[in-house]
Formats: sequence, structure tokens, C-alpha cells
Amino acid sequence: MSLLERAPGESLAEDRRVQALGVLVVLALAVVPFTTTDSLTGLILTGLVFVMLGVSWNLLAGYAGQISLGHAAFFGMGAFVSAWLTTPAAAGFPESIQLPILAAVVVGGVTAALISLVIGPIIFRLSGHYFAIGTLALAAVIELVMLDRRDLTGGATGYYVNGDLSIGEVVSHGDTMFFLTLIATVITVAATYVIVRGPAGLGMKAIHDDEDAASSLGVNPLKYKMYAFVVSSFFAGIAGALYGHYTLYINAQSTLAVTWTIDSLVIVILGGMGTFAGPFFGAALFLLLDNGLSAIVGGFSSAVEGILIILFIIFLPTGLYGLIKEYLVEETTDTDAATE
Amino acid sequence: MVASDLLTQSVVNGLLLGGIYALAALGLSLVFGIMDIVNLAHGHMLMVGAYVAILVFTATGITPLVGMLLAMALMFGLGVLLQKVLLKHVVDEGLEQPIIVLFGLALVLQNLGRVILGGDARTADIGIPGNGFDIGIAFMSFPRTVTFVVAVLLIVATWAFLQYTKTGQAIRATAQNRTAAKYMGIDTDQIYVITLGIGTALAGAAGALLSMLFPIDPYVGWSYLLKTFAVVVLGGVGSVVGTLVGGLILGVSENLGALYLGGGYRNVVSLLIFLGVLLVKPEGLFGSSGGGE
Repeated sequence: MSLLERAPGESLAEDRRVQALGVLVVLALAVVPFTTTDSLTGLILTGLVFVMLGVSWNLLAGYAGQISLGHAAFFGMGAFVSAWLTTPAAAGFPESIQLPILAAVVVGGVTAALISLVIGPIIFRLSGHYFAIGTLALAAVIELVMLDRRDLTGGATGYYVNGDLSIGEVVSHGDTMFFLTLIATVITVAATYVIVRGPAGLGMKAIHDDEDAASSLGVNPLKYKMYAFVVSSFFAGIAGALYGHYTLYINAQSTLAVTWTIDSLVIVILGGMGTFAGPFFGAALFLLLDNGLSAIVGGFSSAVEGILIILFIIFLPTGLYGLIKEYLVEETTDTDAATE
Repeated sequence: MVASDLLTQSVVNGLLLGGIYALAALGLSLVFGIMDIVNLAHGHMLMVGAYVAILVFTATGITPLVGMLLAMALMFGLGVLLQKVLLKHVVDEGLEQPIIVLFGLALVLQNLGRVILGGDARTADIGIPGNGFDIGIAFMSFPRTVTFVVAVLLIVATWAFLQYTKTGQAIRATAQNRTAAKYMGIDTDQIYVITLGIGTALAGAAGALLSMLFPIDPYVGWSYLLKTFAVVVLGGVGSVVGTLVGGLILGVSENLGALYLGGGYRNVVSLLIFLGVLLVKPEGLFGSSGGGE
């Protein structure tokens, strides 16, 4: 049986080869801090953050069909809330609320989820284009307000975040953050997998395909949209909190910038929107583009990214994943035919 | 308490600015109403139009009012090209693809603006002599008044075009019912090309006018997109009068927000009005709900 030719509903991750590959990748990533330079470790950590952003945005946009342009707000709020908890003095909070980094990161993610829980019922009164622009506006409001609240955010200059998780001489703070990010990424991927393979995933796909039809069959659209939105915001918040505590610097202008939304979107489009493995391929390619492209095309890297997502969405809407799948299926079909 | 002359002055300035917002929003509204696409690159097209006017002015000293015509011509060409090369593949194919194509285009325009022209804000000057005048309750500054008048003239011209020309009628017919329009022998593909051309040309015109009043940098695109969409939402999709009134409301409320809450909240006010209207009355204060079919 070929690797990707399977009955519908049957999952790729039940294939032992895919499982083994997954374990192998995680193990290989786990030794990264010991075998590479600090800057390479940082680069791969950024890649993991991209995976978390991509997987979480894909859940909302690719599966539930809600094109949110406000993902950056949840990433940024996760980062800010966790930074307030580890470094309360910088934002004028009492020292008594200080928490260790791990707890602060979780609270950051939970706060992002709570924000989406409050905003969701309101913003989901909008659909389609209105939802897209509404979320863009919402993220812009949050960014502008946070930028203006210099007391809480340090304004455009931002502030440095406390954090030292180094263990002895061998494991630096960055290395520990790398492991935390790796664990968080695995959790994000596993949780998202369970959701999209379960009944909730079916509900999301149903409202994506035809909201009215799904609704008439007793699927509550708001319920599944909220489910996707809250989970997606939670993981975006965790990603932001981890990234903030890796860089140990936070700034309303860059931490809440629309760039994070753009990155999430580019990753998912390149990888394949609405496919589970898409964001992994997308994040890997994006990491290469983001770092390699500037060497080739100079300052034009984001223009090239823009052109790529235009071309992908028009001519290759299933993304890299679709391309690889097509290639693999074709390949195995050919060999099957040859052996017969 | 804010002095009353300051208050009337900012209302008047807001009205004058609102005319330009309305012009920009008309382009967005036209495309949304007819093609059922929100042009996410509209703000960035406005930015490009502004840069065309600024570059012409800095190179030759020619007034941006003339540069505006060049910007409109160029942006019309860009709109036509965009529809013929890219959007024709994805228009009427649901929501995701057009949104992402236009989002990508916005990225490209912003990046090109930054690399070619640098990240610094630039501005033009009206470049023709003239004096403002006092209307008793407020002072009408010369550039603000001229840009307002030009914006309103362009809005009226667009309205007249839609109302009285054969192409304009075909556009409106397509907006009402695309399939029926097609059966009546209207080349709807061509209508889309023209519509997007006009829509982007209006963005270019608004940008050129704004370049005489405010500094423009390559990052203003998103903010102007949200402002113009706010006007569309206020006025209702497809309503020219509604768009004009929506523009004026936005201009005034922005200025009042800046006056009472501080300059940092200028954009917050407009975004909150936008979200508020969107949630309470999504069909807008005037028009009916838009969309091709």
C-alpha cells in the first residue's frame, strides 16, 4: 500500500512509518542545542514558533474557514501578559504577582484564549470579508492602545524581560527555551491533530464547506467557530509568550505587529491550507525564505513572499503538501504497477 | 473643556478630510459591490498613488493635482492588469483565494515602496499659489479646501459615469445580477476589468490628494485600508451618497477623537466606530447589503 493512498477518514498518522518519522524529527530537534551554534538553535526555535503560529492559524482558517487577519493580536497579548508576570516591575505591577516563566507562559496562553472567548461571540456576528477586515481592525485597535499605554508596554521602546533558565554552564537560557518551545510545539501539533480528527474537526469542516447546510443539519456554526478560535488563540498566545521569553525583549510595535499575522498566513498558504501537514512544510520553507531570501534578493524578500502566496493560492492551492502528496502517490502507484 | 473655536475648526477640517476618505472609499465600495471582493490592497494602492504625486512634485515641482491624473492613469492600468492576470482566476471562486491574492499584493506594494523609496515619510506641497479664507466659525485652509473640492468633483464624476453612460449602466446591471446581465449580452468579464480599474484609479487619486496634506510612508496602507473600509461600512456598499456621508462622518469623528482623547487615539476612534457599525448595522447606515448576487 502506498504511503498516502488511503481510505478517506483514515489518518496518515496511524501509518507506522509516519509515526516513526515524527518521533525521529522530534528526537533530532531535541539534540539541536547540543550540536549546533546558539544562532542556529535560535533559528530553529523561530521555526518552531512558526509551526505553532501556522498550525493554530490553519485550524481557524484552513479547517473552520474563518480567515482571521488578527492572529498577531493573540501572539502579542500572550507575550505581553507573560512578560508582565515575569517582569512585573517594568510595567508598574507589584512584585507579588511575579511567576516563574513556565507558569507565566501558560497564563499568557490562557489570557489570549480568554480574550478570544470574550471577543468571539461579537466578532463572529461578522462573516466572510467582514470577519477578515473586522479581525484586522481589532488587532489594529489592540496594537494602537498598547502602543499608547507606555506605562504597561514601554511604548515604542519596549522593555527587557527578566528570565534566566540556564542550567549550569552547559545549558544556556536559550537552550532551555528551545526545549520548552519544542515541547509546546509537540503539544500544539498533537492537540490540533486530536481536534481535527475528532467530531469537532468534522463540525469545523462542515461549516467551512457550507455553513447553511451544516446549520440545517443541526451543526451549530458558532460553537465550532468559537472552538477553533479559542484553541487557535491559546496556542498563538503560548507561541508569543515563549518567543518573548526567548528574545527577552518585548515591544508593542514589533510584538503586536501585523507581521506575525502575515507570517502565519504565508506559512499556511505555502504549506497547504486546510491540510494537517501543510504548516510543517510551510514553516520550513518560510524559515529558509525568511533567512536565505534576503541574501539573494536583498530587501525584496517580503515582496517575493507576497508573490509566492499569490502564485501558490492561484495555481497550487494545496500548497507544498499537495505537491509532495501528488508526487509520492504517483511514485508509489508507478512502482505498484511495475511489480504487478 | 475644549474651546469652541477649536471644536468648530476641527469639525470643519474633519469634513474637508472626509471628502477624500469618501473618494477612496468609493473605489473600494465599487469593487466590493460589483465583484464581491474586498480589495485588501486598496490602502497600499492609495499609498502608491500618493508616491506618484510626491515623486512628480519633487522632481519637477508640478502640482500634485496634475500628478493625481498620472497616478489615476497608472493605477487604472494596475487595476486592469491585476484583474486580467491574477484575479480573473479566483474571482467568483469563494472567499479565501481573492483575499489572499490581494493580501499578497499589499505585501508586494508595501515592500516595493520601502525598498525603492525608503521607509521615511514624504510629503508634497500643493504647489500652486492661493490663500485660505475665513468663514466666520473656522478657517478654510487652501490645500484642504482645494483637495476637498477635487475629491467631491471626482465622486460626482464617478456617480455620473455610473448613472448616465452605457458602460456605467452595464456596471450597475452587473452589480444587481451578474447572471442576468450576462444573458442581456453584457461582457461581465470586461465589466470586472473596468470596475477594478476605476476602483484602483480612485484609490490613486485619493492618495495623491492626501499627499498634499499628510506625510506618506510605505506603511500607511493598512491604516488607510481600514479607514476606507470603515467608510464603506458606514455608508453601505454601493451607495454613492452613503459613501460621501460616511466619509464626512469618519473625518469629523477622527478629528474629534484626536481633539478630546489625544492624537494617539485618532485611529482608534475610527476603528471603534467601524467595528461598532459593523456589529450593529452591518448593511451600513444607508445602502442595502451589497454583493454581486
